Amino acid sequence: MSGYLEEVKLPDFRFWKEIEEKRIPLSAEVELTERCNNNCTHCYINLPANDQDAKKRELSFEEIRGIVDEAVGMGCLWWLITGGEPLLREDFPDIYLYLKRKGIRVSLFTNATLINTEITSLFKKYPPQTVEVTIYGLSQKTYEVVTRNPGSFDAFRRGINLLKENHISFTLETAGLPQNFHEIKEMRGFAQSVTGKSLGVVLRLNIGSRFKGRSNRNLIKRLRLPPEKVMEILKQDEKRYRKDMERFCQKFLRVSGNDHLFSCGAGVGGCHIDAYGNFQLCMLLRHPDCVYSLREGSFKEVWERFVPRVREIRANNKKYQEKCQRCFLESFCGQCPAWSWMEHGVLDEPVEYLCEIAHTEAVWLGLLKKGEKSLGGRGRK
Amino acid sequence: MNRLERIYAKSKDLVEREIEGEIIIVPLTSGIGDLEDELFSLNEVRRDVWARIDGKKPVSEIVKELEEIYETDREKLTSDVLGFLGELEKGNS
Repeated sequence: MSGYLEEVKLPDFRFWKEIEEKRIPLSAEVELTERCNNNCTHCYINLPANDQDAKKRELSFEEIRGIVDEAVGMGCLWWLITGGEPLLREDFPDIYLYLKRKGIRVSLFTNATLINTEITSLFKKYPPQTVEVTIYGLSQKTYEVVTRNPGSFDAFRRGINLLKENHISFTLETAGLPQNFHEIKEMRGFAQSVTGKSLGVVLRLNIGSRFKGRSNRNLIKRLRLPPEKVMEILKQDEKRYRKDMERFCQKFLRVSGNDHLFSCGAGVGGCHIDAYGNFQLCMLLRHPDCVYSLREGSFKEVWERFVPRVREIRANNKKYQEKCQRCFLESFCGQCPAWSWMEHGVLDEPVEYLCEIAHTEAVWLGLLKKGEKSLGGRGRK
Repeated sequence: MNRLERIYAKSKDLVEREIEGEIIIVPLTSGIGDLEDELFSLNEVRRDVWARIDGKKPVSEIVKELEEIYETDREKLTSDVLGFLGELEKGNS
């Protein structure tokens, strides 16, 4: 480009300041369905693909259009389509194209097993911004132990081959699990060779906030890797990890001194909408006080009136105030109202699982000595 | 045909967005703006050109109208307008 059209790198874009000051909903995530053709052991959002009741309750294309129109009118520029498995929706191409035609940059989370030539033709002509594909293992055995879906490994390989043959850029992401732990290093090499990009690894398994399936929640808890295994995975890509952490620590490592419960960016420049039109500040936060049905109110009303009220909520739990709000690792560990809600059913209870991993990481990074606690801004025994 | 006599219409494959006073061009199809971390925006002069692309006005008329707004010589303005239109064409081809 010669400069007539100005290319601007996203971090340099001029509207970032405005987003915070004026609260523009620049990005949104939408779950098109809670149904999935896989039945992954660690997943909290995998209703059966043929669940007719769930299907009937899902937002219709018309309802999605209404939400998109409003969000675009308020400045929405990015939209992440997720699920469940979003490609199960027969109207996926219509929804995708509608978003694109509204001038939205669209990303997709998918397991790739349903990628076919119709989808690749669509993406070839109308490219998505990013496609993130989940990978559960590098061998059929490992992959299908996780997905509990015979034939899913071959379907996944077919899907990513189709993406590759059609030059559709994608990334791979996995979840660190006892079942695939031994293949993660190999998966890193595979991701690099197939996509040219690093493998994303989810290391903190959340149990979801759909409290119906208690047994699944307990199963997910049992699948969590202990801190030392988490460290083993992080050390596989040590150079990158240390570099990322250095940048992160310089920017965020401090005692916030903020008694607001929400010190994160939830509801500041983005939001999440579930498959049934429930507006959430982020993907994980489903506390009834923090959810608003877009079938009962407009996106604009919710964004302008409801979200600021939620973000004003303060922590009442003394344990949280003393343990988390005085901890210099607060931003580092990922403790937030959503995690608290998922683990304990309230917004302000410390999550020990996150705390343990954060302390182990902090020791390894030299931020704390072994056995030291992180309260009060400095390490303390 | 002389490029100044050409008439341009906005392609359906380019979507114009205005966010907080910024005009952003979002291409629908492959071409410009495919990179994950880039956006394309228009500065003030290009915005004025963009606003005048209506499928009716020839380029010469757009230049003439801009001459009334900007104190710059016709040659420079013409070159800028044609450059910008050329880039839009290229990105959309």
